[in-house]
Amino acid sequence: MTMFHFFNCAILTFGPHAVYYSATPLSEYDTLGTSVKAALVYLGTALVKLVCLATFLQVSENDGFDPYQEILKALIGFIDVAGLYFALTQLTHRNISQNHKFQAVGLGWAFADSVLHRLAPLWVGARGLEFTWDYILQGLEANANLVLSISLAALGSLIWLRKNKPKTLIPIIYACAGIVATMPSITSYLRRGLGWHFPEVVGFELFTSLVMAFISWQLFSACQRPSA
Amino acid sequence: MVLSKNFGGGHRGLQESMYSVISLLFILVACVEFCDAAAAIDVYRLIQYDMSGSAFGSRFAALNHHAASLHFPLGTDLSRTVLIIPLRELNITFVREYINQKKPLGGLLFLLPEIFNPGNGGNKQVHEREKLKNVLAELERLLIHANLPYAVYFAFENDEIDIVLADIKKNDATGQPATATTGGYKLVIPTPEPKKVASPTITNIQGWLSGLKADGDMNQLPTIAIVASYDTFGAAPALSVGSDSNGSGIVALLEIARLFSLLYSNPKTRGRYNLLFGLTSGGPYNYNGTQKWLRSFDQRLRESIDYAICLNSIGSWDNELWIHVSKPPENAYIKQIFEGFSKVAEELDIKVGLKHKKINISNPRVAWEHEQFSRLRVTGATLSQIPVAPELLESTGGLFDSRQFVNETAITRGVKLVAESLVRHIYGHQGKNVQIFADGGSLAVNPAYVQSWLDLLSRTPRVAPFLSKNDPFVMALKKELADHTDEVNLQHEILEGMFTFYDSTSTTLNIYQVASVTFDLVLLLVLGSYLIVLFCFLVITTRGLDDLISLFRRPPSRKVKTA
Repeated sequence: MTMFHFFNCAILTFGPHAVYYSATPLSEYDTLGTSVKAALVYLGTALVKLVCLATFLQVSENDGFDPYQEILKALIGFIDVAGLYFALTQLTHRNISQNHKFQAVGLGWAFADSVLHRLAPLWVGARGLEFTWDYILQGLEANANLVLSISLAALGSLIWLRKNKPKTLIPIIYACAGIVATMPSITSYLRRGLGWHFPEVVGFELFTSLVMAFISWQLFSACQRPSA
Repeated sequence: MVLSKNFGGGHRGLQESMYSVISLLFILVACVEFCDAAAAIDVYRLIQYDMSGSAFGSRFAALNHHAASLHFPLGTDLSRTVLIIPLRELNITFVREYINQKKPLGGLLFLLPEIFNPGNGGNKQVHEREKLKNVLAELERLLIHANLPYAVYFAFENDEIDIVLADIKKNDATGQPATATTGGYKLVIPTPEPKKVASPTITNIQGWLSGLKADGDMNQLPTIAIVASYDTFGAAPALSVGSDSNGSGIVALLEIARLFSLLYSNPKTRGRYNLLFGLTSGGPYNYNGTQKWLRSFDQRLRESIDYAICLNSIGSWDNELWIHVSKPPENAYIKQIFEGFSKVAEELDIKVGLKHKKINISNPRVAWEHEQFSRLRVTGATLSQIPVAPELLESTGGLFDSRQFVNETAITRGVKLVAESLVRHIYGHQGKNVQIFADGGSLAVNPAYVQSWLDLLSRTPRVAPFLSKNDPFVMALKKELADHTDEVNLQHEILEGMFTFYDSTSTTLNIYQVASVTFDLVLLLVLGSYLIVLFCFLVITTRGLDDLISLFRRPPSRKVKTA
């Protein structure tokens, strides 16, 4: 029965990635290579972030919210953005349209994030006899993270790959990208500074991811109109 | 400087994080399941023994069932459920009915108040503790003489299990019994099947204090024996500390030994009697150890014993003690002993009564230790606060016999009584009002000694089959007796006869909060539908509705093509 629960949480955590890949035209254009490359770039980014965090961050005894440490963590979080930039622009992709490129990169990024952060706790914890809601909430968080990663990739591709953008939309694009990039800091502030519990934080993440996805979809289609 | 410190710390930090990642990988590979139970508590198993071939006690040790409280809905099948019963809510008739009617049960877990915990809980004042003690005594009597084909465990109340029990009660109140499909709490004890204890040893410790032999006197000096049995028997062997039965007897014997060793240390004050101190084992089993000890004596030694005083449970009396004898009270020796004790008792404001119980040679039951002496024609008497001879396995130091209920003053008065009576007999001062062990003198009874030994005994479970030959406690008793006597001997024997014991007396219980199978099935359905909806949504938004419909229409179109 407990392997059953592990299986359930696993399909909640990793299922949407597979569904996204097969449902959208990504599977038709065989963009798997792009996703894999994006996942590897994420791995490299994670290692660089690990090194920076270990070097510059001090471990605090209490679980409170230290603004200086959080700002430092946010700055290090921008390495994520740099990694995404690298994946979007520097990697050589096969001839796929920009539309699909950002989706593939976002998908690979989110999948690597889920595997690295959520597979280990799931394997170790969800198979035991003891039942907690944590793993289901973690799966929901993975879903929200998928949406956020794809939104960030979309905004990133708008910023770096699209040359002709309507002037009025540029600050909005940068603002949204900034919000999405600093999402980890916002959630950690909510958890530690305001003392929200895990279900509330996950709910907030889901809501903001949907909002951000909608906004970036609108921005993307707005930017696409002139060229079309 | 700060930067270099950071860099040094950073290198270490990097190394540590690398090591932690690698160790986590190893853990993943080894598939170790972390114990993340809702609670893990120490539990102690009900004793399992065979007596003359009949099985008694709890016959199983492993547990893997759901938990229920006493508020379970009537008519539920409890054959795969463990009942958790706190002692305060115990209804003894309910348990008795369950056991006598042999109703199927998955297991029993009794929660005892902290005052019965030998490890701690010594000084807490609990109201109704007499009532709790009586309830526990009755429960123990019921469980020891029953044959239970499931695991029975005792545990002490603490915060964790109180929370769990409150939760279980709430679930039971809603009328849903806990099974695999409805969730709840699961109790797991993964111990293997209990095995017989092979050749249980009983160890008798004897200390010999020589009297003063006059020059030219070829005769053997007379001997007085002071004996107490030190092992216990109770419902939970890991908790049977027997503070009163017979911790009080052991402490009294050690204190008497100490006083007489002081008296005998100076040849001028050494009496003309040898003193033989015996700490015997096998008490609950018809004083098997005492019998073997006496059989090992030389005939001359046995004949030289004037009389033997056995000490049994003298720790919680108010002002009345009993001397139990097996020879008729008219016997001259018995009269002499009793008068000596009565005189001293009068001075100490204690009431001493004489009880006579005839021995039946054909009956193997030995209720008092002096009966073993009497069977070998040695005069003996037992000093005890218990007025009536106990049954087999009764008053042998069970769960309810904890430190709380023993009074050091009672033991001190008992020591004074015995010591003064003996000393007047040894030095021939019968009838004279002389206080040798008077308070305040150098030979006064030491209450601190009594208290410290009593505290130690109240923390040491002493069920004989579970005490090995070189058990540290036995060695401690030997050493203490060696301090007060001239010569100490150990005698190791095998406990044979009608008793067989089984091991596995204490272990850890894991309590898991489990979700039901139906929950996971429902979750699977929800997730399946979510993924299907997500799939359809994505297909519609990215490829258009036609594509979705075409997914279902592809096979027929292919058929059309081939045709």
